[in-house]
Parts: sequence; C-alpha cells; structure tokens
Amino acid sequence: MAPLKAEEYPKPYRPYGADIKETRPYSPCRAACPAHTDVQAYVGLIAQGRYNEAFEVITSVNPIASVCSMICHHPCEQACRRCAIDEPLAVRHLKRFAIEKSADYRRNKRRLVEKTKGKSVGIIGSGPSGLTAANDLANFGYNVTIYERHPVLGGMLASAIPPYRLPREVLKEDIDDVTAKGIEVRTNCEIGKDVKLKDLVGKHEAVLIAIGLSQSRSLNIPGAEGPGVMLAIPFLEDVAFDRKPKLGDKVLVIGGGNVAMDVARTARRLGVEDVSMVCLESAEEMPAWKWEVDEAIEEGIRINHRWGPKAVRREGDKVLGLEVVKVKSVFDQSGRFNPSFDNDVTTVLDADTIIITIGQMSDLSFLKDSSVKLDERGRVVWDPATQMSSARGVFVSGEVVTGPGSAIAAVANGHRAAIAVHLFCQGEGIEGRLPDQEKEKISQMPADVAGKIEREPRLAIKHIAPEVRCDSMVHFEIGYDEEEALKEAGRCRACGGGAVVDQKKCMACLTCMRVCPYGAPVVASVSEIRPEYCQACGLCSPECPAQAISMVSYDVREIRNTMHQIIGAIDQKRQEPVIAAFVCTHHVGVFGFDLPKNVRAVPVHCTSRIDILDMLKAFESGADGVAVVRCDNTICKYRGIEHRVSARVGRVKELLGMLKIGSDRVELLPVKSGNGGNPYASVCEDFSGRIKQIGLRQSK
Amino acid sequence: MIIGSQKPIEEIWDMVKDFKKVLVFGCNTCVAVCHAGGEKEAETIASLIRMRAAQEGKAMEVNHMGVMRHCEPEYFDPVLDEVRKYDLVLSTACGVGVNFLSERIGNVPVYPGINTSFYGAVEAPGRFVELCAGCGNCILHLTGGICPVARCSKTLMNGPCGGTNKGKCEVSQEIDCAWYLIVERMKKLGTLDRLSEVLPARNWSTSRDGGPRRVSLEHIREYEEREEKKVEQAGGKKQ
Repeated sequence: MAPLKAEEYPKPYRPYGADIKETRPYSPCRAACPAHTDVQAYVGLIAQGRYNEAFEVITSVNPIASVCSMICHHPCEQACRRCAIDEPLAVRHLKRFAIEKSADYRRNKRRLVEKTKGKSVGIIGSGPSGLTAANDLANFGYNVTIYERHPVLGGMLASAIPPYRLPREVLKEDIDDVTAKGIEVRTNCEIGKDVKLKDLVGKHEAVLIAIGLSQSRSLNIPGAEGPGVMLAIPFLEDVAFDRKPKLGDKVLVIGGGNVAMDVARTARRLGVEDVSMVCLESAEEMPAWKWEVDEAIEEGIRINHRWGPKAVRREGDKVLGLEVVKVKSVFDQSGRFNPSFDNDVTTVLDADTIIITIGQMSDLSFLKDSSVKLDERGRVVWDPATQMSSARGVFVSGEVVTGPGSAIAAVANGHRAAIAVHLFCQGEGIEGRLPDQEKEKISQMPADVAGKIEREPRLAIKHIAPEVRCDSMVHFEIGYDEEEALKEAGRCRACGGGAVVDQKKCMACLTCMRVCPYGAPVVASVSEIRPEYCQACGLCSPECPAQAISMVSYDVREIRNTMHQIIGAIDQKRQEPVIAAFVCTHHVGVFGFDLPKNVRAVPVHCTSRIDILDMLKAFESGADGVAVVRCDNTICKYRGIEHRVSARVGRVKELLGMLKIGSDRVELLPVKSGNGGNPYASVCEDFSGRIKQIGLRQSK
Repeated sequence: MIIGSQKPIEEIWDMVKDFKKVLVFGCNTCVAVCHAGGEKEAETIASLIRMRAAQEGKAMEVNHMGVMRHCEPEYFDPVLDEVRKYDLVLSTACGVGVNFLSERIGNVPVYPGINTSFYGAVEAPGRFVELCAGCGNCILHLTGGICPVARCSKTLMNGPCGGTNKGKCEVSQEIDCAWYLIVERMKKLGTLDRLSEVLPARNWSTSRDGGPRRVSLEHIREYEEREEKKVEQAGGKKQ
C-alpha cells in the first residue's frame, strides 16, 4: 500500500463535540490526565459498543495506549466525579477492554507516513517520551531515527517494568504502531559509546534527549558494597532480558515507592517465598500506590514501616541482614522530605539478599564535554518554555528533565517536545506556542445532584489468585468481558458531554429548567446549563421549542438524519411489518442488538434523548410501527425521565391519529432485564405481532 | 405574550397540497414559548406534511427553518433569499408575523401555519390563559387589576350581569365571572367602594373599532427619518 501523505495521516481523530469541548471546562478525568485523554468520549463510545472509535479517541493523544491500559496510575479515576456518588469509574480497565476489542482494526490501519519535511530528527531513548515524540514527528513528516541502548524499544517499559504488570506483547502493539510509520530504529546503540552526541547533532536537524531515569540510586551505608546487595534497575533489567538474577531465600527490598513494589513482587515471582520490604514511611505516607501495596501484601510480602537503613550486616560475601533505625518523622513541618531518626531504637531485619530501590537518576556521562550544559547538581539545563537544552537544536523531554513521574506524564511531555522540535525545524519561534498543561475543569458534583443518582458500585477488576500468580511472570489482571465492560462504561456520568444552549436561539422560555431532573439550567436573559449539574441525559434538547439546545457529546439530529438508512428500502410485498425499535444502548448493549429480522434497532443512549421528530421520521421512512423500548426504572441510568418520554410517545400518538395512520402504531415498552433471555427482543417480537394484526401501511 | 395554537393537519394540507416546494417557517419567540410555532413545531409540521403528501402519493419538497421573530425585519432579512426559493411559506408565527413577512417577501405566498389565539400568560407549563384584549385604553387600575374587556364575556364596564353564578359565567362553567373576581379582589385591596362610581361609556376608537392602529414614537422616528433621508440622498437604501 502506498504511504499516506503526512497531512492526511494521521488526521488527529476528533470525536463528536471535540471543538466545543475545547471552549468549555474539561471533565475532571480529562483535566487530570497529563495527555488530556478525552475519557468521557471514549467511555461513551465503549458504552455504545463503538470500540474502534473509542480506540481512535484514546490513541489520538496517547501512542502508548496499550501500555497505559495496563500500568497507568490513572489520575482520571482519582478525579472521577462519580467519587461523590459511590466509586470512580474503572477507566483504565475500560481502556484495556476497548484496545483489546479493536486489535484487528488497529493492526490493519498501520501505515507508512510520507516523509515530506526533508529534515531529520534523532531521538535518544525510546521510553514513553521518546516514543511519543517519534510518533508525532513521523506524523508531521520528518525522518525520525530512534537510538536505544537496549536490544528492544520501550525504555523502562521494556527493560524495567516487570512482565506480570506489562506483558511484552502488549508493549509491542504500541511500538509497532509507531514504527509502522517508517522510523529508523537503532537498538543496541548507546550514545557516548557506540555513537557520539556530536555526530548526531551533525547528522540531524534536531536531536531530542529522552533518556529517562535509568540508573538506580544507591545507599551510602556500611556494607552496601558487595555481593548480596543489588540495585533495583539492574535487577529488573536482568529479569526483563532473561538473565536470571541470583537471589537468596530471604529478600529484603529497601524503599516504599512503586519501583520497590515492582522489585519485591518480581522477587516473589522468581520463587522467593520470603520477601519483605523496609521503608521510612508509614503505610499512609508510602509513595507507592495503595493498590500496589494491597496486591503485594496479598502476595505475602511483608512491609516494615518507619525504619531507616543504617548498615548492611554481612560476614564476608554473605549478607546477614539490614540494621535499621527507627524513623521519628519523614517530612518536616513544611512538608518537605527530611527524615529524622531515633538513634536509640535500632533493630536488624534478617535477609540474605538486599535490593536497594530508593530512587533513580539519569546517566548523563555522554554529555560530558558536550555543548549541553549541566547544572551544579549534574542535571541538564533546559528551558521548559522551549524544551531546549543549552545547545541550539538539542531538545530534552521526559523524566530526564521533569524528574520521576508517570508514563503518561512523559507522553504529555513528549508531545510538547515534538511540537517544539517541529517549530524549530520550520524556523519558527517556540516560546509561548507549546500547549499548557493546566486546564480549567468542571467542579465537584453538587450533593443534591449526587443524591439523585443511583448507587452502582464499580465492577471489581479480577486478579489471578495470589497463590497462582506468584508462580510465574504471567499478567495477573483479568480483563472485563463485554458484558462487564458495557455495564461499567454505563456508570460514566458523561461529565462535560452535556447540554449547551445556543444563545442566539434561546428565548428564555424556561422549558429546559422545568424538565431537567438535575436542576442544571438557570435562565436569566437566556438559559445556561451548568456543566457541574448536567448529567448529559439529553432530556432537555428534544423539549426545547426553539431547538436551541444541542449536546456536546452527540449529535441530536443523528437519529433523524440516518433514519432512512436504518429503515432501508421498504418491500411493498413484505409479509412482516417493518418495526423501528428505539433501544437503550445502556442495557441492550449487554444483550447485543439481537432483535427479530423485521425490527430495525435504533440505538439510543437512553430513551430520554428521543425526539418526537425521530419517531415521526421513522414513520416518514416507511416504518409500520415504532417501539420505544425503555429500561425499567430500577435500571434506568437517569431517574425522572420516564414521564417526559411517555408524554412524547403520547404526542406522536396524537399526531398519527390526525394523519389517520393510527395512534396504536407507536408504543412505549418498558423492559425488565434480568429475567433471563433477551427481554428486548421479546417485547419487540410481541409488538411486531400486534402491528401485523393492525396491518401493514400501504403507500401510493 | 401572543399565544398561538396549532391548526389541524387537514386544514394545513388543504392550504399546501398544490405547491411543490414548501417551507415551514418557525418563529422562535412568543409562539415558541407556547409550543405552537417555534422551530421545533415547524419541523414537526413539515414532517406531518411530508407524510400527508406520501399518503396522497404527491411529490413535494417540504423543509423547515426558524428565526427569532417574524415581526422585525432584522431577524428574517438574513435568510430571505433562502426563503424566497420556495413556492410557499407556511409561517408558524402569529398573524402579525404572517402579515409582516408577506408584505416583504415579494412574490411568494405566506400562509398561516397556526391560529393566533390571544395575548396570554403561562399559567402553568402547557397552560395558557387570555388576560388582555389590547383595547388601547387600559383601566386595570380601576378594576383591581382584572380586565373586564378581556375577561368578561360581555365586556361589561359595570358588571356583573345577571348571568353570574357562584363566581362562574353563564357562558360556561369553565369561565370565571370577571366581575366576581373584580369584586373579590377589590374587597381584599380595601377599595370596593370605588366600584360605586359608575364607569362612563367607553370610547372604543382606541380599540379595533377605530380601524388598524399604529404607534409612532416621535422621538425615535424624527432621528430615524433624518437618517433615512440622508441615505436616500446619497443614493442608497436603508438596510
């Protein structure tokens, strides 16, 4: 296949409403994501069974989406407004589901991108930041070369994150997406050793240093040097590249961060039964994510809190244990990390192997005597406004300059660096043109709104049992099946996806204010629908007499505009009636749209969104009957919509009566799910039988 | 506010059936508030006409559109070229809008898509009530804020008549006797004694009896006419 032109590939995917979303406060999930992934859009698409589109939304801002679907620390979930109701949405796990579902689609769309810029960029490092920049610059049409010291791409994702958290074939999917664009990959190539930085500077129009923090910090305590004591990163690298590290029977991990968790849990999976950890912090103070800690404890790992390492006890080459001293406090009064100790209280923790996991730093030795300046503490001097180092044309991104953070934060910084490099290569100014990370977001859900929303606990993510999962490096988390994913996606309140008033059309009639179950609209000179209240049920839009209300997350006219195609050509000799069945995707999705053949499913994300005009359009398109199949009140996502929907059906009955088409050709059919079978199909079948008795519509 | 109500589809069909290209043109102010003729209802009527045409096997193009008001040219002027492409405009504005657009549209007929009912208030969502008749000579200060012109079936100035019955009008049990309301209201206000003064015979020339009415505000017109003249002298036409 011919490579696509840079400007046509990849058109950044714009879900419906993308432009208007930019003009309004972000949903908190999106604001919290460093890459500003439009969570509301893709979760909404998942809930409607539109998985490929969900994939597009995700990957439009995140080239390591598969990786993030496994290991992201999901700040979106911590920010989820559903926390005010019950529990946050399982966003990361839904992402995993969507990505797994769209695997074929994704592989089929990998393409070369034409190199139109005639300029080349060298990227040192292929972790999240370098990979993102490579992806973006390839999209812009540059010749991109990645230099990676390891035999495979991925940086720490490939060399340090243990496979039980991130299976390598998952990482490969992301990398294949990027390299398919036509990127030169030079693995096993260490800058400073295999090639010199100045050669790269001479060869490429711009160079990006994205080397991350790939060196472990060590501890300056007696006994730390010598056999039986190792550093985290070399240990994890050994595991990653199948160089079995030698461990004893009692492994002690020093550190309380996420890498320490990786190290301890990896040691468990290497057959060590007795793995313990020691950290300065209490359980509450530990920097590791709580879920990581919980999972580690499940796996039998013990954590010794509030002890500081003092000396490694050893007899020659043999480690006996770690002498530790009691921690008085970890942070000083101004909240800075500044541990103090009670030197009178010490103990010895038994261990024959100690792994030090107290933080990482960059290996910047290749920058010695180069034009890239380091500061007095040995860090790269850079300008965050331009992402440039002190050397013109040499850019920096990711943890090497931002310090330790998350993969997705490195992605965000990689995007920024790619824009900077692009502007530089085009001879344009950079300052003031790089995207701002901070976004205004919708405020917390008001208590009265939260009170109106059905409690619906988060669908727990299943894990392989600890006694089984510790036997191997197999990924321990079990993905949602389709039914679970649709159910979980349906919990999303679609923050930021709700109603917007066209101020030029609104004449302040108060209708929206009267119909809204959540008190979102306030009407002054015109209506304003407050996003912190709006639940995007869509009830108001079809009620607005001036058609002044649209929805951010979907096209209110979509059903009407596509009804002819949905109904299709009407066979004048048909035996069975043609039925248009409006079915709620929140629940029918779980059953699939497995409806009788003569029933045309019109998926709608809650019957609250159906307009009288949509129903009329079905009749206009030749339907013999229209069924509005709505979920029973006990499962409806939006309470308080049923009367309006019923009134609309009543109005259509009245109009059909006027036209002498027959008012009983439209019905509102509530469905109780959970009685086994597919209740949506059976009510449609019954209705179809009734319409057949009434007779088929004849056209002249 | 002007309250309108929808016409039966058969009446509409009789008006439109001989045209090929019909625009149902909504008005998004008064008649939208009362869910009779806003853009949404215009689209509904368009849909009904299309279905009716299909029933008759007639090929007809029926579209809809809406602007804020049909009673001020600034609102419809920007779309007038588009509107003129139709054989018929079925306006769902009140009668004012239909007249006004009809005078300005050129050779395209403008037909009424709704009935203009009265000046009314929104008593409750979906319920509208007539409270003023636009007689041109307001006396509400004399009648406790309740209008005998609009609300008394006989428009009596010194009521009630003998047809009042436990607060209801003899015309219908659905109609409150306006004079009963006036008396009760004035009792409450402590001004009942004022009713002993007989209201003189009214001069109805300010109402429909004086022919079509016009209000002209001299302080605005004086300036506007001067401006219009300037533009005219410069050979242009006022936009």
